[in-house]
Order: sequence, then C-alpha cells, then structure tokens
Amino acid sequence: MPFVDQSHIRNFSIIAHVDHGKSTLADRLIQLCGGLDLREMKEQVLDSMELERERGITIKAQSVTLQYKANDGEVYQLNLIDTPGHVDFSYEVSRSLNACEGALLVVDAAQGVEAQTVANCYTAVDLGLTVIPVLNKIDLPAAEPERVIQEIEDVIGLDSSEALSVSAKSGIGIGELLEQIVEKLPPPTGSPEKPLRALVLDSWFDNYLGVVSLVRVMDGTISGGKAKVRMMSTGFDYQVEQVGIFTPKSLNVKTLSTGNVGFVIAGLKDIKSARVGDTITYTNNLAKESLAGFQEIKPTVFAGLYPINNADFEAFRVALDKLSLNDAALSFEPESSQALGFGFRCGFLGMLHMEIVQERLEREYQLDLITTAPTVIYEVLKKDGETIMIDNPADLPDPSKIELIKEPFIIARILLPHEHVGSVLTLCVEKRGIQKNIHYHGRQVMLEFEMPLTEVVLDFFDQLKSVSRGYASLDYEYVENRLANMVKVDVLINGEKVDPLAVLIHKDQSQYRARELVSRMRKLIPRQMFDVAIQAAIGAKIISRETVKALRKNVTAKCYGGDISRKRKLLEKQKAGKKRMKQIGSVEIPQEAFLSVLKVGD
Amino acid sequence: MTTDTLSLYIHFPWCVKKCPYCDFNSHELKSELDENTYTKVLIKDLENDLAIHNPNKPIGTIFMGGGTPSLFSGTAMGQLLRQLGERLDFAPDIEVTMEVNPGAVEHDRFETYLQAGINRLSFGAQSFNDSQLKALGRIHKSRNISGAVTAARRAGYQNFNIDLMYGLPGQSVNEALNDCQQAIDLSPPHLSLYQLTIEPNTLFDKYPPILPPGETSEQIQNRLICLTQENEYLRYEVSAYSKPGYQSQHNLNYWEFGDYLGIGAGAHSKLNIDGVIKRIWKQKHPANYMKSLRNSVDVANSKVVPTSELLFEFAMNALRLTNGFHLSSATKATGLSRADILTGLDNAINQNWVHYDPINDRIKCTTFGYRFLDEILVNLLPD
Repeated sequence: MPFVDQSHIRNFSIIAHVDHGKSTLADRLIQLCGGLDLREMKEQVLDSMELERERGITIKAQSVTLQYKANDGEVYQLNLIDTPGHVDFSYEVSRSLNACEGALLVVDAAQGVEAQTVANCYTAVDLGLTVIPVLNKIDLPAAEPERVIQEIEDVIGLDSSEALSVSAKSGIGIGELLEQIVEKLPPPTGSPEKPLRALVLDSWFDNYLGVVSLVRVMDGTISGGKAKVRMMSTGFDYQVEQVGIFTPKSLNVKTLSTGNVGFVIAGLKDIKSARVGDTITYTNNLAKESLAGFQEIKPTVFAGLYPINNADFEAFRVALDKLSLNDAALSFEPESSQALGFGFRCGFLGMLHMEIVQERLEREYQLDLITTAPTVIYEVLKKDGETIMIDNPADLPDPSKIELIKEPFIIARILLPHEHVGSVLTLCVEKRGIQKNIHYHGRQVMLEFEMPLTEVVLDFFDQLKSVSRGYASLDYEYVENRLANMVKVDVLINGEKVDPLAVLIHKDQSQYRARELVSRMRKLIPRQMFDVAIQAAIGAKIISRETVKALRKNVTAKCYGGDISRKRKLLEKQKAGKKRMKQIGSVEIPQEAFLSVLKVGD
Repeated sequence: MTTDTLSLYIHFPWCVKKCPYCDFNSHELKSELDENTYTKVLIKDLENDLAIHNPNKPIGTIFMGGGTPSLFSGTAMGQLLRQLGERLDFAPDIEVTMEVNPGAVEHDRFETYLQAGINRLSFGAQSFNDSQLKALGRIHKSRNISGAVTAARRAGYQNFNIDLMYGLPGQSVNEALNDCQQAIDLSPPHLSLYQLTIEPNTLFDKYPPILPPGETSEQIQNRLICLTQENEYLRYEVSAYSKPGYQSQHNLNYWEFGDYLGIGAGAHSKLNIDGVIKRIWKQKHPANYMKSLRNSVDVANSKVVPTSELLFEFAMNALRLTNGFHLSSATKATGLSRADILTGLDNAINQNWVHYDPINDRIKCTTFGYRFLDEILVNLLPD
C-alpha cells in the first residue's frame, strides 16, 4: 500500500443500532474499495468472532484501512474503525470514536432512531467529530426517509437536510457516500514532528504473536525496531516487533505515521499491560502528556460460574485465563459454594457481556457451566462502622450487624414510539424508577428515569422490549449509590439452604418475587424419585413453598426382544440429560433453575 | 436354559397397515405376499449364519415376530419349520410362538398352524375398545379378538398370550381396567401389559396424541398389578404376567441373557462365541434383504460387546425379572467375575435400588428400584 499524505487520510466510525446494517455497510465499503475480492467476502467481514456473526452484533472494535480513488483523481486512505453497538460496551465505543475525525450515523430508514444510537452520537459530537447522517435500507417498502430525517433532527439535533439515502444490501448510494466521506470529513490533525503518541483502541491475544494492539497514531510515527516504547499509564517499557494495517487482511508495513490506524505487535504475554485507552510513546523521546480519557473498566454485574462436573474446575480456570487475554473487562476470582463446589465469581460489564462470556466458555471450551443469578455491588455499612462492598448475596453479614445497605442507581434513557409510553412508564415505576424527564420528538418519546441497577440487571431489558413490542431502546449510566431496603431471600431444597440460589430483593417485592421464583423452579426441576420441596425464606421465616411430586416410576415398558440398540439409545439420551444437571444433595437441578431468579414476572 | 439351548427369532416384516405407534421394522404390504421366496431367503440367511459359527446347541424356542407373521399361511409356516428342522436340532420340549394379528388371520388357519408345529400364539389385541383400536390404527375390532381366541382354542391351542396397551390417549383408569378384565375373561395363560410410549420416528412422534397425565398411568399400572394378582397371574417381568408354568420361554431367554439367532429382515442375534459376546444384525429393508440374499451378498453386520458394557447389557435384561438373577448365572453369561458384578452394582445396592441376597446368592431390584429401573441402568451406562 503506497504512502498517503496526512491530508488524504480519513478516519471514521459507524454509529448504528444493532440490526441497522452497520456490518453490511462496512462490507460494502470494503468491497467497493477492493479490500477483498468476491471470493474472500464472507458476510460481515468485520464481525470476526463466530458469536458476533451469529448474534449480528459487534463485540470488539476492529479496523480496516481502505484505498479509495475519489472523483478528484486523488487516492485517499480511509480508516474505518468499527464500534460495538450495545450498551454494555459503551466504553469501547468512546475509545473508537476518540480515534476518528468523523462518524457515519447510520439509521434504519424504516425503524428510526434508537436510544443507543443517540447516546453514541452525543459522544461523537462531544468529541468534536463531524457526523454524516445516513439513512440505510432505503429500498425497503416500509422506509420513511422524511419521518426519520425529522426524527434525527428532533431527537439528536443534527442537521440532516443533506442526509444520504443508501442501501448497503443492494449497493444504492454507496459511491456517493464514499465521496462525502472524502469531502466532508476533515483529515487528522496532529504533528509527525512531535514525540509519538498512539492511542490503544483494542488489544487481543494471538496464540502465535502474543498481544496485538490496535492503535491510532495521534502524533509522531511508530515502527518496529530496537527503540523501546512505553505505556504511559503503567510506565511499562517494551520493544515493538512489527507494525501493520488491516486491509482487512493483515499487512505488515514499515511505519505507522500520524493519522494512521494499524496494529502493533510487541511480543507481550499479558494483555493487562496493553490496556485499551492507554497511550504509547517512545521511551527515549517521551511525550509530555498522555492522551485524554484513559479509564479503568469496572465490572458492574457479578455472578458465580461453576462447572457442572467438579473435575472440570482446572480446565475452567485455564479457559477463563485464556478468555481474559482478549477481554480486559472480564474479572474473576475463585469462590466455593457448599452446594456447587469450586467455581469463580466473575465480573461483567452487563448482562450481554455475561451471556457472551458464558456462551464462549461453553462453545469454545466445551464446558458445562452453572451460572448463578447476577447481582450488582452493594455497599454495606456495618454497625461497627466498617463499610464493605458485597457482590455475592451469600457474603451478606447477619442482618443484626447491618446498619444500612446502599445500592447503585443509574439514569436510564429510553427512546420509544409514543403509543407505548403508558406501558413503559408503568414498567419503570414497578422497577422502582423515579421519573426525571419526558420529551416528545414527533412520534418518538425520550424518557429519563433514575432506577436501581439491580432491577435493570434482573430482567428489565427483556420486559422493556416485550411491553414496547421491541421498539423501545435503552441506554444508561451510573449515578450514585443510594439507600436501599434489601432483604436476602434464601432458597431451600428439601430443607437444605442452597447458597448460590440466594438473592437480594427489595423488601416491598420480596413476597411476590419469592412466590414467583419458587413456582418457576417447580416447573424447571424435573420430577425425581422422591418429593422435592422448594422453599423461599427470609432468615428463618419460610415465605413460600412448592413441591415437585415424586415420579412414580421410570422404566421402559417394552424391552424389544432381540434388538437392544433402541432401548440403549433412549437410556443414553436420559444420561445426556442428566449431564446438564447439578446434583445438590440427592436432588438433580437443571442449569436453568439457577437463572430462574432472573426471569420473575413474565 | 441359557447355556444349554439356543433361541431362534424369525422376523416377518410385512403388515396390512403400519400402526402410528410402531417403530418396529414393518412395512405395508404393497403387492401379493410371496411366501415361497421369503421362506427360501430365510433358510439361506440361516445357512450363512451356520457356516460362520455353528452353535451346536439344540433350539429351545422359536419366535415368529413381525410385522404380521400371521399373514403367512399354515402351509408356508409348516414348510419353513420343516426346513429349519433339517438344519437345526430342535429340543424335545421346544416352544414355537407366532404373533397373531386378530384382524389379519383367517380362523380356519389355526389348525394348520398347529399342524405346522406352532404351539404357542401371541395375540396383538392392544385394547377391547373399538374407538381406541381405531385411534391406534389397528385394523381389527374388539369382537375380532374374542373370535380369534375362541377359534384358536377350538383348534387346540392351550398356550397363548394376549398383548394389551394402557395409558392410551384419553384413557381413564376404569377404561384401562375394563380392557384388562375383558382380556382376563378370555382366560389366557399369559398377559403382556405395556404402557404406550411414544417412540422416535413414528407417526405418533410426529403428531403426538395427548396421553393421560403421569399420575393416571401410574394409577393404572398399580391397579393392573392388583387385578392380575386377584386373577392369579404372576408378574415375572416388568410387563409380563403368567399363570404358573406358562412363562414365555423365548422372552425369558432374552432376559436371562441367553444366546439367540435372528433371521429375517433386520433381525438381531446375540451369541457367546468362546466367551466373546457378539451382536449381529441383518439388513433391514425387506426388498434389499431379499435381493442381497438372492445374489449371495452378505446381509449381516456385527460387533463385539466390549467388556465395559457387559454389566450394563446384562442388567438391562436380567433386572427386568421380578426375581432378578443368580450371581453364578451372571458370571457364566457375561464372563465377568463376581467382584466385577458386585462392584458395578455397588452404587445401586447402596441406594437401596438393588438388593443382594448373600444366602441365595441372588440379585434383584427392590420394590422401589423396580419402579426406577431406567435410573439404575443409566448409572450403569459406561461414559
């Protein structure tokens, strides 16, 4: 790839809601610029993780460097930096945007603006990015470009009179879009003469190369060689082995200069030393100050993960170690439970992050896991004056020793069509929400509610989608810890307390939630050879009870004379089913039962 | 009898109509039945088997199953048995059973069957309720059952079984008891009472009927056990009940892990060859099976049962018997040591699912374990 002058570089991201066609648009741009030939085009090239492609969402930031020959006859270098589209990963979004001068705001011409898009677009505008509004899926019969343009102007306040209409799927308007990227987006500022400052956008672990970091060079240049570089947040020095770009195939280059986006390989073994948001500079020519915005990512949701088969514990530890190489936000420490044996308390950015980690562990590492109900971090002030942070209900001190409990509150911004306002308001109030604001923008309504994070973690998002028929979208951020009247509800199976099933519930909801929980568990626990009693208790007081009646028999009526293979298959199926269950005492409990505490209320 | 004699199973793969619950190797008869050709290939099948391993043991039992073997005439059966007798040594007290579909047998045939050497019949009655019979896809009506049984008895049959199913779609406890009472009224020396189960790859599996709730089926079974007891039937296996001296010798051989040879489309064999237990199965589709044999192509597949699976296979059969098994017969049938067997069953014994009686050296299910036989077996399945 030839050298391109800084004035001919355009760095941009695509801001879009899940399903609004971001990945398809990226594919189309790559194809048009000749980054890949048709044979190499896998659908949604940038979503490289198997899971990402399946769920159609982007989890990790990626980038691609494209060459585009514009109508003015000049060759431009376009660096597209992909951003995740889910609220759990908003930190990564702001990092990606930090590396750009422009952004494409892609909105589905039929569905209109969604909350997550609004939040990300505000971030882009705050960072001083030039934003080009783009209406996608313009060829759909349900497309309403005028209404959606009005919505972008009303809700986001972005002038959209020159919004582009495209269809990434059929290729309509993509040529015009490329021209606008060149014309409207500014080239990167920054000086090649200054000491190196490169922003780490993402880091991942490659089995052969070690840690690979995706960087944007803000000032100066970086090349492979003997000169050591330094991570400015940790002061850690190391040697750069190789630099390069993604076209989207990886291509080694001699130098990444100011404005470039590419990868740096440094033979590091530990991803924690190449943290997202950090600044790289040369040890012998230090930059005066690091780039703004480095922030430690803190998990907000915690859950216990246990292998169903205790013998898998070691394999599980290894898998978590490997997974965390690519996922700096994942935290874990060993914990043990009387009922479940040895496992790990894991911290996640949110529920989606948790689901993704669990699925990757099961799929990529073939582990059968039990996940306990997720919980937030509670701040507990004890009577002796000590304050402790609790991320596991089982660790809650005896009620007599507790002075007060505080729980994290968030501000939720919900964007939805006005016909669903009534049911969403009801839902928010049920979830102990406090209404802060309501704005009408044409057919769309923006609601602002302060809510306890624990309610959002439980099942709020699913319920929000269900009461709004899938139209409401949500964005939230942490506000503060507030006083909470929480009680610990224990679950007893045949009289034995099962610690991983304990949950902290707001006192006003404890009766109803405990009832729902117990009845749900009754449906999930299969009938066994004896009666199984499921009870919910606060302290010593039983507040709800149900019984799974004993199975009277489990025996195949007919043993098929000579052919034993069919009967054997049936038994093997029964055995496989048992493998998905955890033996607690003499009771077999399926995986789903542990998460059933989450689903109360639908 | 497990080591002194051999059983022979003969499969007849055709039916007038396929039943929606049936997952056996049966095919609707599309053209004229060719008794002669099938008899010929059956003999060829047997000769192929004998050429590889001649058991040199007398045949203790023969079972003609299906499909619907009663579609074959007495003459054809006579010829078949004669030709088998020329190649095998029949024990003097041999039991020869044939399955009879009450809707697919002409009553004047029973005498010819008896003359042919078939000395036991098994009637696939299933129910005495006409609407249930229709729902089960049976081609016969309730009155055909009593008609067939009466005709068979008149022809001279004393030893016969009636197959019944319970837990049928919409069936109440009383309806099931009524069915069983009607069967008992025909005073069969043997009764088989099966709970209807939905098997994979059947029409019922694809379009499941609504079966009675678990509690109802359990209640039916308990009441059936009482009813048969009151009428002096002895429950000797999970689903088998008999008057004294009328147990199915052929099925007992399966349950005691004895050897058997299977001929016919899709038939299975189990043979203990010098201490190695081998399972053999024949080509399944009748047309292909016949074609192969006519062209002298091998129709048999086989596998050796690994030692690790022997206890499971043995228990799967022997624990079905109410009296369980003698430990020495288990060691003889499987080649495993006493310690292997007792250690393997250790967990089941500790859970009180299985009881070991050291005085008589017998192992059998406890009353509790007998209801949960599948649980016991799942635990014995090798990983």
